[in-house]
Amino acid sequence: MSQHVTERLAVDIGGTFVDAITFDRETRSVSVEKASTTPAEPESGVLESIDKIGTTLEDTEAFVHGTTLGLNAVLEREGATTGIITNEGFADVYEIGRTNVERDSMYDIRYQKPESLVARRRRVGVPGRLNADGEEVEPLDEEAVSEAASTLVEERGVDGIAICFLHSYRNPVHEQQAAEIVREAYPDVSVSISSAITREYREYERTSTAVMDAYIKPIFESYIENLDSALSEQGFDAPFFVTRSGGGTLTAESATDAPVHTILSGPAGGLIGASHVGRETGRENLITVDMGGTSLDACVIEDGTPAVKYDSRLEHQPLMIPVYDIRTIGAGGGSIAWLDGELLKVGPQSAGADPGPVAYGQGGTEPTVTDAAVALGYIDPADFLGGEMELDADGARDAIDEVLAEPLDSSVTDVSRGVFDVALANTVGAIREITIEKGLDPREFSMMAFGGAGPMFVPLLAREMGVDEVVVPEAPSVFSAMGMLMADVVYDFARTNIAALSDLELSDLESTFEDLDDEAIDTLTDEGFDEEGIDLEHTLEMRYLGQEHTVEVDANGIESTADVSDRFERKHEDRYGHAMDDPPEVVHQRVRAIGRNDKPPLERADPVDASPNPVDTRDAYCFAVDDRTTFDVYDRSDLRPGAAVDGPAVVREPTTTIVFHSDQTATVDEYGQLIIDGGEVDE
Amino acid sequence: MSNATDEIDAATVEVVRNYLTSAATEMQRTLIRTAYNTIIYEILDFGISLYDRDRNLIADSPGLALFLGANDYALEKVVEHVGEENMNPGDVILMNYPYWSSTHTLDVGVFAPIFREGPEVPREENELIGYAATRAHWLDLGAKDEGYVLDSTDVHQEGMIFPGTKVHKGGEPDEEILDLIRFNSRIPDKVLGDLNAQIAAIRTGKERLQELHGKYGGDTVERCIERIQDHGERTARDAVRDLPDGTWSAVDYADGTTGDGIRIEVEVTIDGEEFHVDFSGSSDQVDEPLNIPRGMTETVCKLCFKSLTTPEETSNAGQYAPLSLHAPEGNLFNASYPAPTFTIWTGIVSVDVVFKALAKAMPERIPASSGGDLNDVMLFGEDPDTGRQFVEANNDAVGWGATDEHDGANAIMHITETMVQNIPVEVFENKAPISFDELSLRQDSGGAGEQRGGLGLRRDFRIEHPVGALSIIQKTREPGWGIDGGEPGDKNGIVLDLHDDADERVDVLVDNTDLYDDDELWVGMFRGTFHEGELISNRTGGGGGYGDPYDRDPEAVREDVIDGYVSREAAREEYGVAITADGDIDREETDRLRSESGS
Repeated sequence: MSQHVTERLAVDIGGTFVDAITFDRETRSVSVEKASTTPAEPESGVLESIDKIGTTLEDTEAFVHGTTLGLNAVLEREGATTGIITNEGFADVYEIGRTNVERDSMYDIRYQKPESLVARRRRVGVPGRLNADGEEVEPLDEEAVSEAASTLVEERGVDGIAICFLHSYRNPVHEQQAAEIVREAYPDVSVSISSAITREYREYERTSTAVMDAYIKPIFESYIENLDSALSEQGFDAPFFVTRSGGGTLTAESATDAPVHTILSGPAGGLIGASHVGRETGRENLITVDMGGTSLDACVIEDGTPAVKYDSRLEHQPLMIPVYDIRTIGAGGGSIAWLDGELLKVGPQSAGADPGPVAYGQGGTEPTVTDAAVALGYIDPADFLGGEMELDADGARDAIDEVLAEPLDSSVTDVSRGVFDVALANTVGAIREITIEKGLDPREFSMMAFGGAGPMFVPLLAREMGVDEVVVPEAPSVFSAMGMLMADVVYDFARTNIAALSDLELSDLESTFEDLDDEAIDTLTDEGFDEEGIDLEHTLEMRYLGQEHTVEVDANGIESTADVSDRFERKHEDRYGHAMDDPPEVVHQRVRAIGRNDKPPLERADPVDASPNPVDTRDAYCFAVDDRTTFDVYDRSDLRPGAAVDGPAVVREPTTTIVFHSDQTATVDEYGQLIIDGGEVDE
Repeated sequence: MSNATDEIDAATVEVVRNYLTSAATEMQRTLIRTAYNTIIYEILDFGISLYDRDRNLIADSPGLALFLGANDYALEKVVEHVGEENMNPGDVILMNYPYWSSTHTLDVGVFAPIFREGPEVPREENELIGYAATRAHWLDLGAKDEGYVLDSTDVHQEGMIFPGTKVHKGGEPDEEILDLIRFNSRIPDKVLGDLNAQIAAIRTGKERLQELHGKYGGDTVERCIERIQDHGERTARDAVRDLPDGTWSAVDYADGTTGDGIRIEVEVTIDGEEFHVDFSGSSDQVDEPLNIPRGMTETVCKLCFKSLTTPEETSNAGQYAPLSLHAPEGNLFNASYPAPTFTIWTGIVSVDVVFKALAKAMPERIPASSGGDLNDVMLFGEDPDTGRQFVEANNDAVGWGATDEHDGANAIMHITETMVQNIPVEVFENKAPISFDELSLRQDSGGAGEQRGGLGLRRDFRIEHPVGALSIIQKTREPGWGIDGGEPGDKNGIVLDLHDDADERVDVLVDNTDLYDDDELWVGMFRGTFHEGELISNRTGGGGGYGDPYDRDPEAVREDVIDGYVSREAAREEYGVAITADGDIDREETDRLRSESGS
């Protein structure tokens, strides 16, 4: 690479916009642009955003891309025709699943299963079996594998095959053998083997994960190829990374090998950004609230790390990959407020971008949270999206009046406040759940607000929950793309190895960790990281003998099995409220490998001693005095480090509005972040 | 908002409703988080509820669908027995007397009155604002057998009884009561751990209700609750009014523990906004642990009623206002002392009988019968690798009934416990000395119909080391039913493949070989010790079909044959559709077959 190649580029495809952002390591400057999303040919929106930002691709040292392509393929059922090869006698595991229905359907006597991605005719069992120790009980019938592949490809027309055998998490030999046979016979058919994606037990979940991977692989591959060649034509010749569902990024090449790892990466950028910014500014414990048009995503960051789970679902189907543990609720700006008899409800239906809130004047008739915000005076109708769109405030008020206030015999202001109260109650409930289920107290966290509607809503949420401060980062509406620039390269490696701790020596655990470390280091050095730039994090998943659930135990620097046992008991106590006398058992060993990237610094400025002047005033509803009052209006660009503003106030930014109330104060910290504190609802 | 004076605004009502619902959810998370036994935190064998001071249900969060409202009847009995005037802040009360608690002795109810202030404020200066209740399955409490009691003839063989006994008084644990529990259980540590988990869950509910009262004031909370109840009642009444009026009845038979059959008859009457269920025609109570206490009969009715009226809403008492039931004292569904009540499987079967009656009234709303059972196989013994005692139970799914609009779902857990998962093959093989030969859908097990019933499944347990095993299953002899010309699905059954010397080891309680003309040993309930190489093949029932099978679109039959849900033979015999070896429809032959039937 030549000397001047110092620019990092990130492009995030969202539902409405493609956000491009660049960071120049030499000049330390950041720039941002938006283009429209182009669902039919996603790469053109990406290329347009890059074009708009005016970056020279020859000068780019790394490109980080966030895409929801895989997700959309599943949501719209546009993936590959997929088949399954598995053990004889178990071809129905994928259909039988775990036999339960989700909570929302628990009383539904007419319940229907969601449509399967793999019809029964495309699932074939072949002889061959391993036992729970991974030992071969019956050799793989290679002939049967050939026949299965031929049936699936020739007769059933599949483009992708998922291979999953019982106990392959222990011993992948049969899966690898079968994959080789299939690849040799049908090199054009993409093959996903379960043990290459996850080495954890539970055959249905592992099969489903492999199926999801096979299902999106052909589309993903051709998209990445098209994009890569279009970029190359413009001189791009640098590492190409794709964001990962469970944090960090992986190379485009690895992503095409196992695209399932990208499938839930949509909200990942914001969380990477939040954890990085949090670490840099001394806030290791954060609740992030990303509120956009259709929904609100909340996640807990503890000790600088966003919560990750290993058992997520997509379209009712399990995914056994690490995914950020995000609680999504229908409380976005576009969420519809409605009456159920005389109860006032908000969401989960959303007016989306089209027709959008009534105030958008695009034909929406159902009042939304955004309309309530307009009626309460938080959004300046003449200055929405930096003046790009004029809002129909009267229309919003009329709709609220007609649909909600009149039937309830209430006023537009009172019922709009009610819409906020209900949206708040929904959100408070969800956040209490994601904290309390981990044994955490939400009041010990700071909140970070981003997304278009977050900065308007989260200060109220913090008041409601007794959270001390809300952090509004710079450029909150493109925070997700910003976060991608901060992403490290991350790979997870795991082994399921179920054994009583008492049967293990420390060296047993260490040797598995060493194997995993070697695998991790090999992978990252192949991608150009030197060992100094690599961090390895060890964890154990453990439980008491007889339990099903495991807890994750930090296993960095373990000194003895007694040490492991202590760590496990402490963790169990924290999480479940008690320790037990039963013997502890190790279930999984995990290594997370992190290749560290150079990140944009948070620019630091010395505080100035000047109080900013409001540019305007607005009449708006203050939750601290339960009435309309006069809010000062500021431009965010006028708020320099050190500035302090007492509520009630509105701070304008081109793509978002920050609102806080008369019992709250905002200060600007040395990094330009707005910190809102004060204001607790009386108990 | 907090100082609202006259009319309560709609938003406050919704905020309070949401608060109560999430309080119940938090209680559930606390219980799962702190429970010691897998039956609670994996199988979700618990019920959780919050009440106002008049004992109206204001929120719940059941683990088993069948436990919705299961604490309602029990709370009434607790208050009756202890006396409201004797309840003090900080009290926690145990109750598991089956005729009051609704289920069996091992489902222990833990109840607490909630006062506005804690136990430091004496009752006279305090104010009762509600109750919190949990019930959860304990592993062992003074019953004659470990695990499940399958042959009790009176309740005193089934365990130790607390009739409404304070285990905490004024916030302090009563060590004497705890000792009683400790000395009456084979697994005291886990049992006491689970008791503490239930108390922790109750504390969560208590604190949340106190916070709510503190925040809005008792008056506002009460008026909101009133509005929530009114809304629930209005929604349910509107839904019942939409249903046809009339009286319909249905009969079915549970196996019993001998296979002789226990009559379950249900009569449902809908009259305007009222919904009444009568169990008078059912058998008298029996000398087998299959009797249903009155409280459980209420939950059977609530589950059926809810699925028709407010399936998507969390429960409150108002929603059940239109519902009433009758079961005479001493009836199978109103067991009286000392009738044994250890398994609730007749209650499971009765849910389908209620739907069977309703299907006569409103076939467009009700599916044909499901496989209709929980198909439980339990393994216990010593793990040869670790030397530890283990108990592993798995409930298997059944085919669901077809509806007027679609085929029944394949292999879904019975409606009474829809949230319960099966145990994965890989997990099971790691936990017990068995391996599975097969886990598959049973071809042709779904009842034929214009809409086809869902398929049941087959799970083959191969024993690898001597192990104890039993089954709890109650619907292996009577078939299910179709609707409007649809056929019933295959019955539930278990096939045992045993060595010649097995007679002394394996006690077949319900022998079904008379029902099948193959050479296999078909059984229902059994209990015994199994040896290496023997096989337990659990085969679950299919759902019933809907409409005449000859009206099924031949293309749909062809698709079913390609997918193997239906065999070519069955396509021909039951649907009158001829499918060639290449998977095409033989139109001519199909026309001939379908016209021959004369339908």
